[in-house]
Amino acid sequence: MSLKYVTPVAMFKKYLPKDYVELVDFGPFGKTQDEAGPGNMGQFKELMEEHPMCSGCWMAYYIRLIFASLPCPEETVTLGTAGCGRLAISQAAVPFIYGNYGDQNAMASGLSRAFRLRFPDKQKDVITIAGDGGTMDIGFSMTMHSWIRGERFTTIMLDNEVYGNTGGQESGMSPKGAVLKMAPGGKNFEKMPATALAKAAGCVYIVKMSPTNIKKAAKVIRRAIFVAREVGPTFIHAYTSCNIEYSIPTEEVFADARAQEKDRFQFEEYMTDAAKEVIDRIEAEEKAAHRAKKGIVAEEVN
Amino acid sequence: MTKLVIEGPAGYMPQSAPSMGVVLAPKGQALLYGNVATEEEAMRDAAVALLTKANPTIFPGPQILWDWRDDVAEKAAALLELASEIPNCKIIPMPDYRPKYPKIDVKAEINPNHPNLTILDNKIKACVFIGVHCHYANLTLRMIRAGTDCYTVALCAYMGHEEAMASINDLHADDIRKFKDIVIQERKRLGIDWVTTEPPRNPSLPKEDNSTLSPVDYGEYRSLIMTKKGEHVTDVE
Amino acid sequence: MSYERPKLVKTLVDINYMLKEAPRKQHFITGAQAMAEAVKRANVDMAIAYPITPQSEVMHLVGDIYHQGHIKEYYRAEEELGTMSAIAGASRAGVRLFTATSGPGLLRGLEAIVSWSGHRVPAVLGILTRVVNAPLSIQPDNIEMAYMMHCGAVMLHAENQQDVFDMTLAAFAIAEKVDVYIPVAVATEGFFVTHAKGYVQMTSDELALTAFDPVASPVPAMDNETPPARIQRDAPVQKSNFMSYLIHAVWQQEIWDSNKRAMKYVYEYLGGPIEVLNPESEVFVVASGCAAAQAREAHRASQELGLSVGLIKVRAIRPFPVDEICAAAKNAKALIVPEHNIIGWLAQEVKAAIPNGGIVVGGPRVYGGMTLPVELIMKEVHTALGLEFNLKL
Repeated sequence: MSLKYVTPVAMFKKYLPKDYVELVDFGPFGKTQDEAGPGNMGQFKELMEEHPMCSGCWMAYYIRLIFASLPCPEETVTLGTAGCGRLAISQAAVPFIYGNYGDQNAMASGLSRAFRLRFPDKQKDVITIAGDGGTMDIGFSMTMHSWIRGERFTTIMLDNEVYGNTGGQESGMSPKGAVLKMAPGGKNFEKMPATALAKAAGCVYIVKMSPTNIKKAAKVIRRAIFVAREVGPTFIHAYTSCNIEYSIPTEEVFADARAQEKDRFQFEEYMTDAAKEVIDRIEAEEKAAHRAKKGIVAEEVN
Repeated sequence: MTKLVIEGPAGYMPQSAPSMGVVLAPKGQALLYGNVATEEEAMRDAAVALLTKANPTIFPGPQILWDWRDDVAEKAAALLELASEIPNCKIIPMPDYRPKYPKIDVKAEINPNHPNLTILDNKIKACVFIGVHCHYANLTLRMIRAGTDCYTVALCAYMGHEEAMASINDLHADDIRKFKDIVIQERKRLGIDWVTTEPPRNPSLPKEDNSTLSPVDYGEYRSLIMTKKGEHVTDVE
Repeated sequence: MSYERPKLVKTLVDINYMLKEAPRKQHFITGAQAMAEAVKRANVDMAIAYPITPQSEVMHLVGDIYHQGHIKEYYRAEEELGTMSAIAGASRAGVRLFTATSGPGLLRGLEAIVSWSGHRVPAVLGILTRVVNAPLSIQPDNIEMAYMMHCGAVMLHAENQQDVFDMTLAAFAIAEKVDVYIPVAVATEGFFVTHAKGYVQMTSDELALTAFDPVASPVPAMDNETPPARIQRDAPVQKSNFMSYLIHAVWQQEIWDSNKRAMKYVYEYLGGPIEVLNPESEVFVVASGCAAAQAREAHRASQELGLSVGLIKVRAIRPFPVDEICAAAKNAKALIVPEHNIIGWLAQEVKAAIPNGGIVVGGPRVYGGMTLPVELIMKEVHTALGLEFNLKL
C-alpha cells in the first residue's frame, strides 16, 4: 500500500512540522474527490499551496487545479521542464521530476514503462506538465514521438503563448502578429496547431480549453488520466495566460481567460471510441459510488 | 592520529572530505574525524560531544520519519530512546529534500539545501543525522562543516559519511541501542544528572490544550465517549 | 502481437562470483557481441536503442536478447536526446538500464548524459567510438571520449572483446554502489573492436546478476513507494530568492567524490585502473582502449629486441589513476602515449598527472579511421631510447 510512504511513524508524528502533519491528516492522499477535490478546494490541505509565481498568474491557478483533480495523488508522478510552471509544480506534495530542456515526454516514456515493469499490478499515473515552449518548441520531437509510440501517460501543455520565464520571447504557440522579444516586428507565422498535431500523432483523448470552469476543467484532467491508464496518450492544451508579458491587469486575468474561450481557446474535446468506453465506464462507476454514499448518508441522517 | 575532518567553519568554499583523502570505513568499522576507528570509539566520542556541547539535536530524515518499511518502527523507537537519554536533546526533522519556499521555519525543521540556517539559529553545537538518503546527507554534512562549528554524527544504514566527525555505518536498531548505552555510560562518567525524558514536540504544532477538548476532537473514537441515544451512564471512573 | 517472450529462469549471482569464480567457456565473438552478452547476464530491466554506426550492432543484439526474454523492456527511441532522457526518466523508477551510442550520437545525447551524474542515474552506457563529423565519416576515432570526461561519469576503456565483456558486467555493479551511484560508460573503438572477433572467456548465460535494488540508493526512487513524498530529487536550487548557491557547489563535489569512490571497485572487479608490464623499464608506452592492444604488441616487439620498454595500460579514464600512473612511471625517462584521436586527451591527462610532464611524448596519434601501426609506436620507442629506427609503412 503506497499510502505508507506518506504516513508518519506513529511516535514521530509529534516531531513533524505542522505543515506535514496537516498534509497527512487533512490532505487528499487516499481520499475521494468528494472529500478532497476541486469542489472543496480551500477546505482541505491542498497539495500545492505556497509558490513563487507572479501575482495574478492564471497558470498557478490551473496548476493548483491539476493537483486538486488528481484521481490518485499518492500514486502520481509529475514531470516538467524549464519554464514558469515548474516553479509551482515543484512546490506540490507529489514527486516531480525535472530533467533537461523539453525532455519531459521522453523521460515520461522511460518512467511509465519502468513503472509497468516494476509494478505490473499497480496503476501509477505519470503526467507531464510543461509550457508551450517545452512541449511544442524545444521538446517538440520528444512530445510527438511519445504520442506516435502510443506511450500511456498524460501530457498537459500550459500555454501562455510566450516564453514567460526567460523574459517574454516569441514561442511557436504565440499568436501571429504578437510583438514579443525576438519578434520585434510581430510574429510572422501562425500559432502551431497543437491539438491537430496531437490527433495526427495518435493521442486518444485531446482537449483544448481555457479553464474558466473549475468543474469542467477538473473533469477533463481526470478523463485524460483515466484514459492514459488504459488506452494511450492523452493531451490537454490549456490556456494559462501570462499577465506579465501580455500586460493583463491582475483583475482582468479571469475576463481574459473568458474572452479566450470564445477566441483561440474554444472548447474542443476529441476522444477515440476506446477512450470513450473508458470514460463512460469510470464516470458511471463514480456516479454509482457517489449515489451509494449519498444513500448511506441519508440513512444515517434518518 | 591527525584529525582530518573537524568541526567548522571550514569556510566559504569547503573542500570535500573525500578530496582531502578521507575514505569510507570498511564494514564493521567507523570513521572518527576522518580516520578509521572502531564503532565503539566513534560512538564514545560522539556521545561525549552530545553530552557536553550546547543544544544537542537529532535530525531524523525521511527514511525513519515515514512508515514505509517494516523495520522503521523499531529503529524509530530506538532513536527516541537514545534522544531521551541525552540531556535537553531536541528532535528536528528533515521530512523531505525540496528547497523550502518561501522561508524555512528553522525551529521546526532542517532542509538539505540550507541546513546551516537551522544549525545557526538554534545554536546547535552537536547533532546526529539518521535516515537521510546518503546523497543529501553528504551535502548537508558538508554545508554544516562549511558554515558552522557544529559536531556532526552520521548514523548510516549503508556505507557511512566522510564529512561527519563521527560516522557509523551499516546501522540497525541494535546499534542505536548500543549507542544509547554508551551515552548513558558516558553521562554517568561525566557526572551529569538526567532523568530519561522524551524531547519536546515540534514547536510548529499547535499547543496541546485539553481544557478546550470537545467530542469532535476524538474523531472516529467520539462514539466511545458520547452516550448513545437513550443510554444513561451512572458509573463514572 | 501474438509472440509472447519466454520467461527465463536464471540463477542469480553476485558480481564477484560472476566475474571471478563462475566457470567460463571460450567463445570467438565480436566486441558488439561481447557487450550484448554481458548485458544478457546483467539482469537488465530496460534497454533503449537508437541506431548509429558502429554502435547499432550492439543494440540490435540487445533487442534480440530482449526478444528472447533476457530483458524486461526494450524500445527504439526517437533519437539520442530522447533515448538518454528516457533512460534518465526510467532510472527514477528504480530499474537497471542500458543503452549505447557512438560519436555524433553521443554528442547529440550529451545534454542529457552530462546531467545523469547530477541526477544520480546509475545507468550503463556503451560508447562504441566513431569520428565526430564533419566531414561525415563512420570510422573509428575516440575524440568523443574527451567530451565525456568532464561530466562526472565513471569511464572504462576496453582494449579488446574480453575487456568489453568484463567491463560491461563490472560497470553495472560499480554504478549501483550506494557510495557511487553515477553512470558508468564502457568505451571501446568502433569497428576495430566492435566488428572484429576475438576470444572471450564467458560465463554461462544461465547466470545473471542479482536484481537491481531500488532501496539501496543514495537518493530515493521516485516510485511512490519510497519517502519522502514531497520530493525534489533534482531540485531547481538556483532560484536565488530562496536558495543558497552553496548547494550546487557541494552537489558537484558530491558527484566527483562519488567518481573517486568508484576507484576501489575498479580494483575489486577489474584488478585496478592500470595494468603494468615490465615495471622497471626506462620507457613506457601508456595507452588505453584499442591503442593499448597496439602498445602491447609494441611492448612484445621491444622485448624481442631487448629494449627496456614497459607497458602501462589505462583501464579507467574516470576516475583517472593519477597515483597509480605516478607510481608506475616514477623512474621512467619517457612515456609514449599512442592515441586514436587528434587532440591527445590521454597524453594531456598523463602529463597533468605526473610531476615531470616533460617526459610525455604526445603520440603517435592516428584519427579519422586510420589504423595504428605498431611501427609508429616503435619509432617513438627508439627515439626515446636514443636509437635509430627506419620507419617503413
